[in-house]
Amino acid sequence: MLLALVAVARLALAQDTDTTFAVRQGQRLDVSDFGGSVVIKAWRQNSVRVRATHGSRDYVTITTEGPTVHISATSRHGPAMVDYEILAPAWMALSVSGTPSAEVTIEGTEAEVTVETVEGSIRVVGGSGNISLKSVEGDVSLEGAKGHMELNSVDGAIELRESSGDISAETVDGGITLLGIESSDVDASTVDGSIEYDGTITDGGRYRLESHDGDVSVSIPERANVTVSVATFSGDFDSSFPVTIKDKQKHRFTFTLGTGTARLELESFDGSINLRRPGQVHEQNEE
Amino acid sequence: MNDQWTNRLSEYLDGELDEAQRSELESHLAACDACVTTLAELRQVVGRAHALDDRPPVRDLWPGIATRIGVSTDELASRRARRRISFTVPQLVAASIALIAVSAGVARLASRQPTRITPAPDAPSGVVVQSAMFDKADSSADIAVDQLRLALAEGQRTGRLNPLTVHKLEHSLAVIDSAIAEGKRALASDPQSAYLNHHLADTMRHKLEFLREANRIATART
Repeated sequence: MLLALVAVARLALAQDTDTTFAVRQGQRLDVSDFGGSVVIKAWRQNSVRVRATHGSRDYVTITTEGPTVHISATSRHGPAMVDYEILAPAWMALSVSGTPSAEVTIEGTEAEVTVETVEGSIRVVGGSGNISLKSVEGDVSLEGAKGHMELNSVDGAIELRESSGDISAETVDGGITLLGIESSDVDASTVDGSIEYDGTITDGGRYRLESHDGDVSVSIPERANVTVSVATFSGDFDSSFPVTIKDKQKHRFTFTLGTGTARLELESFDGSINLRRPGQVHEQNEE
Repeated sequence: MNDQWTNRLSEYLDGELDEAQRSELESHLAACDACVTTLAELRQVVGRAHALDDRPPVRDLWPGIATRIGVSTDELASRRARRRISFTVPQLVAASIALIAVSAGVARLASRQPTRITPAPDAPSGVVVQSAMFDKADSSADIAVDQLRLALAEGQRTGRLNPLTVHKLEHSLAVIDSAIAEGKRALASDPQSAYLNHHLADTMRHKLEFLREANRIATART
């Protein structure tokens, strides 16, 4: 009975904002949310539609400052918790910040994306140019992006799929999954979690995958030209194909495939390092 | 990450390479992002080390020594002005952690750009960092950890930070500290291992980045 009363009270106080305004090429959208969810979907119109669910005493404010359109909400007592559903042009650069919390979902964008949140997870489909996604205690997921990608979490997993460009992924307590990647520059690092990489190994490229306490699994294309450096303190090494070790030290060894122009560094202090053929990396870990 | 030039960047910075070597290194820099990054970090650390308060000794012994060995005090001043500070790459990592943690304090960490330090994977044995240096850097970071804990407690007291967030931050810090402890134990058993030196340095870099991020959250204004 108490739950029902609470639900009724919330409905009574809830209020919707629904507004649409025109924007021009080159403008950016900046959304700030104190707590709630932010869903942004791209559309083909040169306008932004903002639908927000909030308390009757909260106000959604839309302001323009230079090329940036800011959306935020306030209440009498400061920042307000709002659930946003926003439609924005695919070309519009997006920035979302949620302090202390916001669940952020962005779909269909073709522009730069910056998201920072503390408690919520981040899921982005699309994006190009500089893409920076940062959460503290949420998972970070990006798909179908191209450009320079920086993905960070502290207590959450990172997943990147079907994307191309420079990649930097770092978390403390979580795994990192990079699948369907086209890149010549990958840097992935976690303290406590596994790392999977399934993607291109480009001639002259640089790839560094490092975990303290977790397995590192990477796919090596058939005709890759790569110098592989493997380092571990107490973990194992396993390869689906034969390799000839060239230089062996106590905790590190290297070998070369093809002409060896790319450099691949695999390190796990306390986990296994696995080399697989394309498509086998995720398969192996799902078994 | 490491090449024949990585460990000569300090000499380059100090102007100790001959013309041919300097020219060759500069050609290399044009094509090596890792060395450019390392050089920038080296410059930053050296600059900050120079900026540290150069306190005079309570009792200056030099005049007496100078008299006995026949060197003028003017020459001393000249030498002090030319003071060089050189670091190998792993030393740079540990020095960065110590300098940032001690001289900046955690409150000022938040306003800084991330320090991206990429240790060389196959450093020659001559660049092994003694574990004491890591201990010193880590104890310096402890000061920042103490300040962070105060900020987190304050954030929780005022309701600005969710207790679950604080708990998760504490947990992540424990994960990093556990990794550092394991790394130190491993290094103690094999102090000449370049991999273990670099791995420990990298884990400490994780801690530094974590402290920066956690402090940003703890002190953020809504």
